[in-house]
Amino acid sequence: MEYLEMRNITMKFPGVVALDNVSFNLKLGEVHVLLGENGAGKSTLVKILSGINKPTQGEIIINGKSFSSLTPRSSIENKIAVIYQELSVVDNLSIAENLFLGKLPKKKKMGVTVVDKNYMYKEAEKYLKEIGLKRDPATLVQDLPISEKQMVEIAKALCAEAKIIIMDEPTSSLSIDETNNLFKIIEHLKRNDIGIIYISHKLPEIKQIGDRVTVLKDGKYVKTLNMSDLEVKDLVPLMIGREIKSKYLGEKRTVPDDEQPIFEVRNLTRKDGTCRNISFEVYKGEILGFAGLIGAGRTECMEGIFGAKPISSGEIYYKGKKLEIKNTYDAMKQGIAMVTENRRETGFFYNFPIWKEIAVSTSLKSSKMGGFTGLVHNKSERKAAGEYTKKLNVKCTGIDQMTYNLSGGNQQKVIISKWLAVNSNVFIFDEPTKGIDVGAKSEIYSIMREMADEGKAIIMVSSEMPELLSTCDRIIVFRDGEISGILNNDEATEEKIMMLAVNID
Amino acid sequence: MTREKFQSFWNRFGTLCVLIFLFIGFTIGSPKYFPKPSNLIQCILQSAVYILLAFGEFFTILIAGIDLSVGSVACFAGIIVAELSLKGVSPVICIIVGLIGAALCGFINGVLIHALDLHPFVVTLGTNTIFRGICLVITGGNPVFNLPKWVKSLSSYIAVIPKPVIYVIIVGLLLMFFTTQTVAGRNLYALGGNKQSAWYSGINIKNYTIFAHTLSGILAGLAGIVMLARVGAAEPTAGDGYETYAIAACIIGGASLFGGKGRIWGVVLGGIIIGTINNGLNIMNVSSFWQKIVMGALIIASVALERLVSNKTKK
Repeated sequence: MEYLEMRNITMKFPGVVALDNVSFNLKLGEVHVLLGENGAGKSTLVKILSGINKPTQGEIIINGKSFSSLTPRSSIENKIAVIYQELSVVDNLSIAENLFLGKLPKKKKMGVTVVDKNYMYKEAEKYLKEIGLKRDPATLVQDLPISEKQMVEIAKALCAEAKIIIMDEPTSSLSIDETNNLFKIIEHLKRNDIGIIYISHKLPEIKQIGDRVTVLKDGKYVKTLNMSDLEVKDLVPLMIGREIKSKYLGEKRTVPDDEQPIFEVRNLTRKDGTCRNISFEVYKGEILGFAGLIGAGRTECMEGIFGAKPISSGEIYYKGKKLEIKNTYDAMKQGIAMVTENRRETGFFYNFPIWKEIAVSTSLKSSKMGGFTGLVHNKSERKAAGEYTKKLNVKCTGIDQMTYNLSGGNQQKVIISKWLAVNSNVFIFDEPTKGIDVGAKSEIYSIMREMADEGKAIIMVSSEMPELLSTCDRIIVFRDGEISGILNNDEATEEKIMMLAVNID
Repeated sequence: MTREKFQSFWNRFGTLCVLIFLFIGFTIGSPKYFPKPSNLIQCILQSAVYILLAFGEFFTILIAGIDLSVGSVACFAGIIVAELSLKGVSPVICIIVGLIGAALCGFINGVLIHALDLHPFVVTLGTNTIFRGICLVITGGNPVFNLPKWVKSLSSYIAVIPKPVIYVIIVGLLLMFFTTQTVAGRNLYALGGNKQSAWYSGINIKNYTIFAHTLSGILAGLAGIVMLARVGAAEPTAGDGYETYAIAACIIGGASLFGGKGRIWGVVLGGIIIGTINNGLNIMNVSSFWQKIVMGALIIASVALERLVSNKTKK
């Protein structure tokens, strides 16, 4: 008998259907894995169970009671606990206080109600013992390593008498030993009749710990299978399962053996180790794609190339000439451009109209000493801005419109204009079509193709595989901060990319 | 008038409207004395120090920071000039060394803010006390007086116009040119508009942060020398609390504490407004205690007004 059942859940956001008629169920004492690529709808499903999102349609049945939607409160009342990837324990409280957050035990002392610390510590100790965490309950959570913080989260779920525990990528920051320890705890939870919804991209561990698996793809339910009937390698095609190979829009081209790359990165390693030993080349006329799961180190690698974050080693060449890049100014000065993933945070300026936005880097490049000498040339800058906005078809009321008032796609075009105006030779596009409507997307693709044809080196990081397959000539796949493979467009499929992106060994 | 038109009108002329409003108010309150030309010149002279301090403050606010140390930096520069002048050092050298000392203070602020990645509020709150302490140590807590005549002559009159007013005009014009016509000036606006975007556009945020604070130091030093000239002696407690006036002048003049917004012209008006309030209330025999209350209310009112009028889309 299923303890939890979600029937025909549909979740619509403006412009997107995040979940389309998805059903899911969970028995007590089992680990049910949710599997799917980035954006398949796993997080949305979790958010519905935790009461953050209200489904547009569908029914949730918990222990025989039917709901059309949950609130964060009713989610807790119905014994659901979520352990997010970014842990939500309160760092500056003790373990025991975290466990009893919002329901501190009280007692009367000389007529005043105070927290019953003795009782709280004794109870907390019981839960810590249950999951095998040998710590004094009075220890501050900030003094614990991340793996133990996670255990505190689990203890907190037990303390709330949760019957359903959702774990979102619980092993992403754990070592092998810590992972094994977590699995021991999960086995213990199973024996105590707790149902676990488990989300992870690491296929071997899914196979190891899971009892059943439900696969989602593009917000749709694919199928539910028993893990015992499956091999690890069967899982990848389930996640992809697109029938039509995305159509490649560029011209088929093969790189002649003797051709010199226009842009080259050798053995790049970032100081924080988020990407290691990265080497690749970009040839004339090609768009080089970077695939991988979120957090695989692609953005981090690009930030290193662009001088935005420190690297510990690595060499960068443009047309055979070595570039010295210590910061973003050096990168800009030597013709590298980066269109960042997050326009609001690292893309545009809140206080600038379109023309100033475009002129910022141009005036910086034409002046000396980091911009400390040099005058602005409003007239020619406005003229250039007018030309680029026209060329890239930016929909605006004029170059005096504020950039933040534009739609996402047009903001992106303004940022591309900025780098075109500087005359950059190497363009790094990090998720260039994120949050952009379909029409603007195809415009951005053709701008990129045009730039590649003009001889600029084009790099495109994207988490949308169809987009990579339709735009890129070659695709480099990242896994855990390293390159796990390079695919030519004619041999690349979503399945092959995914095989390289996830850990199946 | 549509809302948008009113917005752009208020953005441009709001501060000026406040000043005119004050002028009319004080003229009604004290028709005999306030509008007399000699008093109006006095009024602007009183504003000169505030304006110079606010000029420096403006650049730190522009990059979404703040400088709470301008008062003690001004005092520090004044003490350097006073001590050197007593030793018979030539005026030009005295002033240059004073300004270098003040610039160094600002430079230290900038380096600490960047290197420690601390909020400028915390750093300058600390350095404000440190610089003040240095002033007290140098002077032993006593005022430095009996200064040579040239010190006082720095704030004398040319015809009917006091020299400090001329300094403000010259510095103001230079800074106007800097903020509107140079690449570095625009980069400071960019930095204030979005620090990370600036970094990803190739702007070296470290150098520009240090630069803005050094500039703040130099201008505070200039204000300190004018203060010294007007008083004729260097008090180790001179300029105490003046950061409030400097910040207020910027905010009233249209700068935003979120950064990236404001004009030199607005800062000038903001400084004059503060000078005018002081002067007008003095003339109307309002005690200086009450003046503080009025000043505080005005700061809050001007920010609230800006919030009401401006777009709420920003942040």
